[in-house]
Amino acid sequence: MLVLSRRTNESIVIGGEIVVTVLEIKGDQVRLGIRAPRHVTVHREEIHAEIQRENRSAAVVGDVDLGRLPKPSAGA
Amino acid sequence: MLIESEQLGAVEIDDTKVLSFPDGLLGFPDVTRFALVDAGDDATYFWLQSLDDPQLAFLATVPWPFFPEYEPVLSDSDQDALDLQDPGDAMVLCLLTISDDAVTANLLGPLVVNAVSRTGRQVVLDGDLPTRAPLAAI
Repeated sequence: MLVLSRRTNESIVIGGEIVVTVLEIKGDQVRLGIRAPRHVTVHREEIHAEIQRENRSAAVVGDVDLGRLPKPSAGA
Repeated sequence: MLIESEQLGAVEIDDTKVLSFPDGLLGFPDVTRFALVDAGDDATYFWLQSLDDPQLAFLATVPWPFFPEYEPVLSDSDQDALDLQDPGDAMVLCLLTISDDAVTANLLGPLVVNAVSRTGRQVVLDGDLPTRAPLAAI
């Protein structure tokens, strides 16, 4: 892993088109600004990991009783 | 096409029911083709059966009968990836997790399908949404 030191308002450039700027450092928290092209998605890593975990839980294993699924209320 | 599914048995899949997820699902990057099969008869629940792995299937629901306030906002990159010109072309499904005591829906990472091109994508929404929202008929 590349390790760089940056101060507030300094940036790094990734791949010539993604700019990550340190906006604020407060205690153990760093606020980052990220400028990226439209086709690049940027998310917090733990959110990605959480959805991966949930997808694995959601993969249906064995028999499922579809009768357990709640019925939406009429007219909803 | 005829598929032999662990969950559904042998089913004939109409080509118009085949969805392509070029990026797979999160944690399942190589599973890119699914058949969308009705589960039940009120168009609320669906099976998302992998065509790449007959043992892999998910249950999904249309969120709004249960979560009428749900308003997923797609990022520019997601709209581009789905080539969504008209929001009306988007179909939204949330994967379900069935545990011993609850049926929950993943509202944070819904599946969005361009109903015209039948291309889909699991998107990651901004905001404080649950991955395990209990289904409660309202």
